[in-house]
Amino acid sequence: MSPIPPDIEQAPPVSPIPEAELQPQERYEDELIMHLERDQFVAETSRPVPRAVLSAGATAGLWALRVFVVLVSIMVIYTFIADLH
Amino acid sequence: MNTAAPATPARLREAPFEAPQLTDEDVVRSHDRARVHHARRHRRHWHLLWLLAGPGILAMLGENDGPSMIAYASDGAQYGLGFFVPFIPVLFAMAYVCQEMCMRVGAVTHRGYGELVLQRYGRVWGWFGAGDLTLTNLVTLVAEFVAIRVGLAYFHLGAGVAVALGLTLVVFTLSGGRYWRWERIVLGLAAFNGLFLVAAILVKPHIGTVASSFDFMPFPGGSFNTLLLLLASTIGATVTPWMIFFQQSASADKGMTPRDINHGRYDTAAGAVLAAIFGLGALVAGAALLAHDGSGIQGFAPNAGFPQALSRVAGGAAGTVFALGLIEAGAVAILTISASTAYAAGECIGVSHSFNRSPRDAAVFYAANIGIALLAAVVILIPGAPLLSIALNANVLATVLLPVSLVFMVMLANDHALMGKWANKRSTNVLGITVIAFVGLCGAAYGIDSFLQTIHLIPS
Repeated sequence: MSPIPPDIEQAPPVSPIPEAELQPQERYEDELIMHLERDQFVAETSRPVPRAVLSAGATAGLWALRVFVVLVSIMVIYTFIADLH
Repeated sequence: MNTAAPATPARLREAPFEAPQLTDEDVVRSHDRARVHHARRHRRHWHLLWLLAGPGILAMLGENDGPSMIAYASDGAQYGLGFFVPFIPVLFAMAYVCQEMCMRVGAVTHRGYGELVLQRYGRVWGWFGAGDLTLTNLVTLVAEFVAIRVGLAYFHLGAGVAVALGLTLVVFTLSGGRYWRWERIVLGLAAFNGLFLVAAILVKPHIGTVASSFDFMPFPGGSFNTLLLLLASTIGATVTPWMIFFQQSASADKGMTPRDINHGRYDTAAGAVLAAIFGLGALVAGAALLAHDGSGIQGFAPNAGFPQALSRVAGGAAGTVFALGLIEAGAVAILTISASTAYAAGECIGVSHSFNRSPRDAAVFYAANIGIALLAAVVILIPGAPLLSIALNANVLATVLLPVSLVFMVMLANDHALMGKWANKRSTNVLGITVIAFVGLCGAAYGIDSFLQTIHLIPS
């Protein structure tokens, strides 16, 4: 869903840091990170999802529904205003 | 999309280019999730349910708002119990079908409804949805302030107190900078929706009459237009666009994941059951006025119309409890509806939209939350504003605009690229499409029939 940019993809692998060498702040952050799913971080949810491809029929159906709802809304609002008088 | 297991520190260190930049929002949400993991690991089922409950109950009880409770009570006062005792639970079953989808999409994608519609189907549809939401929310919020005013009028307090109470609650609940705090305060307030059940008990209904009402008939009498108005306003009292925006965004903001979907279903079902019971309480309390010319009761009359009438017929305690219930219903709805507007604004503009952010980091979210409540409050202070008409039409407008929101909800819940194995099953689609067809038909039929009467193309 979120492709890795090419410059990052080519970055050399980094060895894991041994657990004993972690600083308290790093331990704290690790514990926090453990409780969230990877796609749950703000950094991840800030990336937009790709646009869906709708068929022509689906697009036409959505527009028809939208026009219909707008027309009925106008009727309801007109009736509401007329009733005020 | 990774939905299998929480990301481990080791995995992240082995792949440092993927390590996320932690924000304050992540830190706060992670603390909440730590408690969920702890409860799950130690098999504390009730504690887990307590931690994961919230969005479903708030969406359902938030929709048991001032106009809805007045609508149920007015139905009881004018038509008795016959048709509505079975109809209200059916409507909440419909609401469950819609809200379960919202919760599921929020838990799987970790994104709000407005954000997904905008990104997945384009800006036009996203902004259309947000526009619908803002319009119905503003009208509904005005009705909530009116409901609070009606409740307070029973205690001889005016519109200024209603405005002050509503706005103070909005600002107070926003002050913690944490979703969990906001949710628990609003849940605590929502518990008082049970006052409508107390009111029903205080009017001492005949149990046999209530039980026999489940036969689902008789259909209420009156003109075709009156019947359509009843259906449209009662549907609008049960399923609305703001609930869809709210529950999906709140589920994501709470940090729910696919592992929590079953608990999300319990939460939504509990909300639907409680809301149906409390809604029936308002109906039964209102039915006490049936034998006392209930058709003449003006539920939104500024001089405490409904509670006052109930007090005369069923005693001061019933009137007092009903008035307090109206204040609660209006207050909770102001909080949840303002929150749904804020989520939609943040999601469509593309800025931070979380209670877990500080006002400085999520200025648009907080400004929209307070701003729409403030705007509605200003409307009810305008001398001569048609508050009664606004309040009565709020539910109808919500019903008319609802089908578009529901269609996108079903499309999102069917989107296998987003939802994977959590996408809708065929049975859920059949139910969802039936709900959309029913809601669309009722709303459109009322809108068209009323319009044709107004322009005198058909007789009134």
